[in-house]
Amino acid sequence: MINLWKRWKALEARGIMGINRRNADYVLKYNKRSLYPIVDDKIITKQRAIEAGIHVPELYGIIETEKEIEKLEQIIGEHSDFVIKPAQGAGGDGIMVIADRFEGRYKTVSGKIVTHDELEHHISSILTGLYSLGGHRDRALIEYRVKPDPIFKSISYEGVPDIRIIVLMGYPVMAMLRLPTRQSSGKANLHQGAIGVGVDLATGITLRGTWLNNKIAKHPDTTNPVDGVQLPDWDGFMRLAAGCYELCGLGYIGVDMVLDETKGPLILELNARPGLNIQIANDCGLALRTHKIEAHLAELKERGLQETPAERVRFSQELFGHVPSAAI
Amino acid sequence: MRALNLHLKILIVLLVSVGVLVTAYQIFVLGIPVTEDETDDLWNIDARVEFQANPREPVKVQMFAPPLNQNYVSLNESFISNNYGVSVNQVDNNRRVTWSARRTSGKQTLYYRLALTKRYTGDLPKPKGPVFRDSIPLEGAEKIAAEALLAPIREHSADVETFIGETIKRVNNLNDDNVKLLTAGNTSTPNRVRIVELLLSFAHVPMERVHTLRLITDQAVSPELWIRSFNGEKWLYFNPDTGEQGLPADRLIWWTGDEPLISVDGGKQAKVSFTLNNSELNAIGLAKMTDQNTDADFLEYTLYGLPLETQQTYQIMIMIPIGVLVILVLRNLIGIQTLGTFTPVLIALAFRETQVGFGIILFTLITALGLSLRSYLEHLKLQMLPRLSVVLTFVVVLIAVISLLSHKLGLERGLSVSLFPMVILTMTIERLSITWEERGGGHAFKVALGTIIAASLAHLLMNIPELTYFIFTFPTVLLILVGFMLAMGRYRGYRLTELFRFKAFLKE
Repeated sequence: MINLWKRWKALEARGIMGINRRNADYVLKYNKRSLYPIVDDKIITKQRAIEAGIHVPELYGIIETEKEIEKLEQIIGEHSDFVIKPAQGAGGDGIMVIADRFEGRYKTVSGKIVTHDELEHHISSILTGLYSLGGHRDRALIEYRVKPDPIFKSISYEGVPDIRIIVLMGYPVMAMLRLPTRQSSGKANLHQGAIGVGVDLATGITLRGTWLNNKIAKHPDTTNPVDGVQLPDWDGFMRLAAGCYELCGLGYIGVDMVLDETKGPLILELNARPGLNIQIANDCGLALRTHKIEAHLAELKERGLQETPAERVRFSQELFGHVPSAAI
Repeated sequence: MRALNLHLKILIVLLVSVGVLVTAYQIFVLGIPVTEDETDDLWNIDARVEFQANPREPVKVQMFAPPLNQNYVSLNESFISNNYGVSVNQVDNNRRVTWSARRTSGKQTLYYRLALTKRYTGDLPKPKGPVFRDSIPLEGAEKIAAEALLAPIREHSADVETFIGETIKRVNNLNDDNVKLLTAGNTSTPNRVRIVELLLSFAHVPMERVHTLRLITDQAVSPELWIRSFNGEKWLYFNPDTGEQGLPADRLIWWTGDEPLISVDGGKQAKVSFTLNNSELNAIGLAKMTDQNTDADFLEYTLYGLPLETQQTYQIMIMIPIGVLVILVLRNLIGIQTLGTFTPVLIALAFRETQVGFGIILFTLITALGLSLRSYLEHLKLQMLPRLSVVLTFVVVLIAVISLLSHKLGLERGLSVSLFPMVILTMTIERLSITWEERGGGHAFKVALGTIIAASLAHLLMNIPELTYFIFTFPTVLLILVGFMLAMGRYRGYRLTELFRFKAFLKE
């Protein structure tokens, strides 16, 4: 009992944010319920992003009804690789990634051959709401398949690694690189067994990581060290993430991005209730950082100022970058 | 943010204090018992009056009824009599029932029924009585015998109390020649009481006859004659047969004075017989019955004012907040994952009908079978809706089969699965299979386990009879609960599971 109390105090001192605090102080306070559809529906997110001039994977088409499934072939057209996603899916469920075509059939990234019928069945499942939050009817989108930058070859197992940045009122708070593992079957979701690796906000150099709530330094499949990798175009990621505040109006979000080998940083989706494992990946609590940003915001408000995304990125990088992981 | 906090604080303080104050008022001012176990004896006394009515004559039956200002309080009084007019009037310290009828004939039976219990609240009026009386004139040998008896009594007594005690003792010594003379062979209690009265009057000590009824079951009872005398402060009671002093707690005064219990005009062979029975009533039922005869109508606006059937439903319903509270604590303080927020509460309610142990087995068995069917259907590549429909139908069939089997095996428990648990079960399987699809089997298992734990815990708490009684009787307690829930709404601390989840931080 006393031990637990000590642990409580120690975690609090490190600024580790718990679910209750995240919900009460950030999600409920900064995220207006009416704006949730913008982030919960990937189609709306995409449209908003395109309007704001933010890079997203190209949309090939949308299927809304069973009848429209017939249009699948026409939507795919000449593309030999593409992704099928539920618009309201959560946690990476229901995403099917086709890497190639083979004799009138399709080949997923993991090498599994699927027929056209199976593709149609999958889309039909999406439409009935199998993967959507709360089981509503859903739409399926077919989009460009991101080709991960070769930089990730050594520290990733299949799939596409993505980068998540937590953004508070437009200020990047913390970043994490999510690496698929064999266990996560190519998916970049931590609860499915992917690795989360912390990223230094100022430089974009990876730190050590977390795997299933433990700290790790090496990728379990490739056994290469996950730290010390310089992510290319880091400032591009930071600007993209900071700009998402204007895009959706939600004050506390997790921005999921990918690095395409030809198109550079792209926004994949936004999350209004980002998870807390990013703290373990960075070996750093969120609360201390968010408090600094909130203090800064209060100061700006007093002076009647507002900052541009570029200024916000600079603020975060100066404050939270180049810092030995335990200090802030 | 600050204003909202203050707002919330005020709201919480308001709710909690209203809850505490109303409950305290109910307990301390209205005296509503805190637990159901406080039971009291409830006595039902039937006095059966029988007589032969004279033909062509109006009938008037007068009978004494107990005065209501004693240690017992009347809950209900009824007069059962065909074609008779009934009236009750106060005569001195007594109450008298009068039945009257213009014309009847043959054997008549009238009933007087009284329900009463020990008084536990309220004050009795201060007793009053005479302290002096004139001597009864006596002549000749009787006078001499009385004086001879009185001399040693005077010698052996110090005050009124001991004087009466001594007198009874002397009169009961039937071998004494003086007593023999006075009784003249009639040694019945009334006659001895008459002699006691005579002797006491010589000393100017007033005396009254008291007719009491012994509260005892399974025995024929008839009024017992006691005597009493007022010493200026209180009545002193004596048993004229034994000299025993003080009225035992199980005696109910029916009437006082010299008149007989019953008098019948226009009838003969009047007879009164008493039947008593005793039942235990829980305190609240008693309070409710007392309420009808007292002024405080405190139960008027509680849930006890509802019809009985509705009350039973509310007794279940009013415990739902307790179940919800359990889920709230388990989820937000402990961090156990459950299937949805209120599904565990519904399962807990379903356990009411199946019993918790059997309920858990049934829940696990059916859910496991339902989920395995679901995973088999996976291979058939069906759409979600048809697939779920198949699962649900399968569950219904499964429950039917289990009921049938357990019935054949002699386990009547199996039949206890009624419509409500069946709906809950199918719902649970639906939600669980969706969770399985979305989050994988491991997560689904964790959630199912959490749900069973939460449901069992909620069930156990919701079925504590004392708690049910307490909340049903003092529903404002729920306001205190709401206060706690509101406070929980702002709880930002860690959940217990997070202390383990983030353990890695503290390892260097």
